[in-house]
Amino acid sequence: MTGIDFEGTQVPLQAGDTIAAALYRSGTRVFSRSFKYHRPRGLYCAAGDCPNCLVTVDGEVNVRACECAAKAGQKVSRQNAWPSADRDALSIIDKMHWALPVGFYYKAGIKPKFAWPMVEPFIRKMAGLGFVDHHDAPRHLVRVNHHPEVLVIGAGVAGLSAALAAAGAGKSVLVIDEKAPGHRVAVGETRAAIDRLVGEVTAHGAITTQWNTAATGIFEGPLVIAVDATREETLHVHPGAIVVAAGGREIHRVFRGNDLPGVMQARGAARLAGVHGLKLGERAVVWAEQPEALAHVETLQRAGVTVVAVVAPDGLDTSSVTVEVVRGEVTAANGKKRLASVVAGGRTIACDVLAIGSEIQGNEHLVRLSYDLPVVIAGDCTGRHHTLEEAAASGTSAGTAAAAGPALYAVEPVRPRTCGSDGYVCLCEDVSVKDIEVACKEGFDSAELLKRYTTVTMGPCQGRICADQLRAVAERVTPELAERVGAPTTLRPPTRPITLEQAVAGAAHHIERHTTLTSKHLSAGASMMWAGVWKRVEAYNGDVQGEYAAVRERVGVIDVGTLGKFLVGGKDATAFLERLYPMKIADLEAGRLRYGLLLEEGGVIIDDGTVCALGDGRYYITVTTSGAERLESWMLDWAEAWGHEVYVVNQTASLGAINVAGPQARAVLEKLTSDAVDRESFPYIRHRQITVAGVPCLAMRLGFVGELAYELHFPASQAERLWDAIIEAGKAFDIRPFGLMAQRLLRLEKGHIIVAQDTDFETTPWKVGMEWAVKLDKPDFVGKAALLRHQKRTDRELLVPWVMPAGTACPPEGTVITVNGALSGRVTSAWHSPTLGHPLGLAWVVNAHAKDGAAVNVGGTTATVRVGHAFYDPQGEKLRA
Amino acid sequence: MSHFSIRCPNCGPRACSEFSYNGEVRPLADPDASEEAEIARLWLRRNVTGLQRERWFHAAGCRRFVTITRDTRTNLIVAQPGEPAGDVAKHA
Ligand code: FES
Ligand SMILES: [Zn+2]
Repeated sequence: MTGIDFEGTQVPLQAGDTIAAALYRSGTRVFSRSFKYHRPRGLYCAAGDCPNCLVTVDGEVNVRACECAAKAGQKVSRQNAWPSADRDALSIIDKMHWALPVGFYYKAGIKPKFAWPMVEPFIRKMAGLGFVDHHDAPRHLVRVNHHPEVLVIGAGVAGLSAALAAAGAGKSVLVIDEKAPGHRVAVGETRAAIDRLVGEVTAHGAITTQWNTAATGIFEGPLVIAVDATREETLHVHPGAIVVAAGGREIHRVFRGNDLPGVMQARGAARLAGVHGLKLGERAVVWAEQPEALAHVETLQRAGVTVVAVVAPDGLDTSSVTVEVVRGEVTAANGKKRLASVVAGGRTIACDVLAIGSEIQGNEHLVRLSYDLPVVIAGDCTGRHHTLEEAAASGTSAGTAAAAGPALYAVEPVRPRTCGSDGYVCLCEDVSVKDIEVACKEGFDSAELLKRYTTVTMGPCQGRICADQLRAVAERVTPELAERVGAPTTLRPPTRPITLEQAVAGAAHHIERHTTLTSKHLSAGASMMWAGVWKRVEAYNGDVQGEYAAVRERVGVIDVGTLGKFLVGGKDATAFLERLYPMKIADLEAGRLRYGLLLEEGGVIIDDGTVCALGDGRYYITVTTSGAERLESWMLDWAEAWGHEVYVVNQTASLGAINVAGPQARAVLEKLTSDAVDRESFPYIRHRQITVAGVPCLAMRLGFVGELAYELHFPASQAERLWDAIIEAGKAFDIRPFGLMAQRLLRLEKGHIIVAQDTDFETTPWKVGMEWAVKLDKPDFVGKAALLRHQKRTDRELLVPWVMPAGTACPPEGTVITVNGALSGRVTSAWHSPTLGHPLGLAWVVNAHAKDGAAVNVGGTTATVRVGHAFYDPQGEKLRA
Repeated sequence: MSHFSIRCPNCGPRACSEFSYNGEVRPLADPDASEEAEIARLWLRRNVTGLQRERWFHAAGCRRFVTITRDTRTNLIVAQPGEPAGDVAKHA
């Protein structure tokens, strides 16, 4: 395919075509229908400013056809028209202005009240721009940071000159432009100057360039956010100083018929003729308000258009043009779906193109976002037309100033120009001069209110076309309010349209962590589940009961490499942990370990884990899988608050961990190590450095699952080797790897809580029966003050174990608990225990019922509260084996 | 979207985007404080307009906390890590 598919027709392409250029060449004149009245609209600015050429390209809505490079195979269609933009049935609305007065949203909503629900669906259907394809998969774009000393926005004569000046002063410079330099400029001396400057800039070692990159806002810092559409990345630029040389645009002239297809801004017409070689029409009138526009006469002629007249104000020197000059202004344009004639200087001139070269206003949007920032403006952007020499000089002085340091540059507010008495002020929102006059007379007396009431400046171009003219009309109608109605409305980023994907570039990266053993688990048939940012094994081949039985009867092995693991040392390590944990640390001898809760200042449990004393004031501590990230910074925050000299090394990722649990755990280890692991030399709640299958391990004897268990911590790189060795050695005992589900069941039989499953944001140790883990006789620890206060109160609810008789069905977690019909609490953990043969679990129950032996109603079945007993192995003999 | 630089004692001056904000510095627990004072200390933030002592975590760097004084109106850092706090009370 060599062309683009335009609503089913093949449109041929030429090199360098934009979509607009290709469509225009093939005869398209109506590019869209206006937002409200469905008036036909054609190419107007051809510079990415106006809303007239918004089309849908390959499913992406609101693409500016004049700026979008055409590529073979693209599917392009017009928007906001039915059945087609050429024959839009809804253009009947254009005949019904009386039915859609200015502010009709508000008016229709008020009187009569019942009307709004009927009007709204109709308005929604006929308004709006394009249809978003909801099946479209989002793209994840990259965010890239740049740190140049000077950032230049805009690669015209002024911008490029500024870049060379700043680089000449020894600064690193980044130049960006929303397109390639000179892409809108017809062949001529300006284009030649740009090409020469681009050559110098590219050759300069201190200047980096990035084209097709539009700045969308300047923020405090300064920080400039720009989007690169071709590379699919969003740039965050952190410059020392900024030169804004974003150029200017011709003022939108308002008169009757000013929105007819065929009426264009002169720079846009020159671009289409001079860059894309389009013969825009047969007969053109050029309205020149400043000298630059006179040069466009020749550009149009070269493209084969007959320029029938130049309209110019009295003072302008027109000696350079050879066509008839009409003094005055264009006061009206006539035609039905396309321009047929214009009225100027009292005459009617037949033509099919009107190129309006009005005065230049600066593209000041970025500048107006940047009060109090080191921003310098150069060239046309200052709000006045610059000749080539003036632009180069302006750029050079701006570049020199930016290089000199972060001085602040205030921005001159732009005064509005005059405005005609008829025609469309706002092309995006279809707001006419008459509409604004009505609104002014209805009493809307500031630019901000006029904007909200009429929706002028609120369209896709965000007032680029109309803001200036809104103020001009308002000043004319209410001159006594000139101060208020003439003030520019607030400008907000983005200054160029961006997609949501570009806005969230770099923010959508979702972290999913795996231990080094994940591939082993998957090949063993594991299903995975989320645990914080980790993916952990839920169960192997769904056999939770089998895994459970292996641990209780023989031996099982679980990957616990996701646990938070920290090495804590430094001069104040002991004092630091003593103040951090609610249990005693100082008396913990080397080789011993202790279970520890972590509380926040309000005395609420936030995590739990173990502390191993390594000797010499060094400690190895573990916390839960989901707590690792948060607790590292939490601990370090306290170190800074107390001024403690400690280091906390996060070894969560660098160390792996495997827990071997079950009556045969020791027998398995003995096959793999020559170090002593017997009960006497390596008893419960001790840790030892041992070598297992050639891998050096810190081994701990602890018992979350309630059996004889060894938890091995070792360099993560050795994980697969060690895992394989354990599975191999365990074969003789029918070892089984087990997952999180089996582990949760095993711990539940011991009555152990899981922080955040069984606890909530009000859970103190008292409420879960863990007073034993808190030593209030310590001088201080995090949460102590709150717990002392708390002690004086009676808790409303307590977390208690419960059982149900054998043969009853296990209630789901979250089941509501009642006593005599009154709400009493809820189940947090529940399971049918295979060993004990009945359902059991943990539940929050109101204090009065949290007594051993109390009967409560769990979802229709009676359960008995059991305080003070572990369900399984109450004396802990198996753990200590 | 703000941008300023914090002088980390380990890493030198770094963009604030490398740090995560940990909020204003609060006084440590006082066992003799009234219950109301303690609740206010724990749960109520002063949200100062002016100079504020605050803690930042060098999350994308050496992973240590630093304490600085920042003017919340201008984002100018009045005291970098290790420097005297400055006249915080006057602005609180
Ligand atoms: S013309 Fe675009 S908002 Fe008015
Ligand atoms: Zn650091």
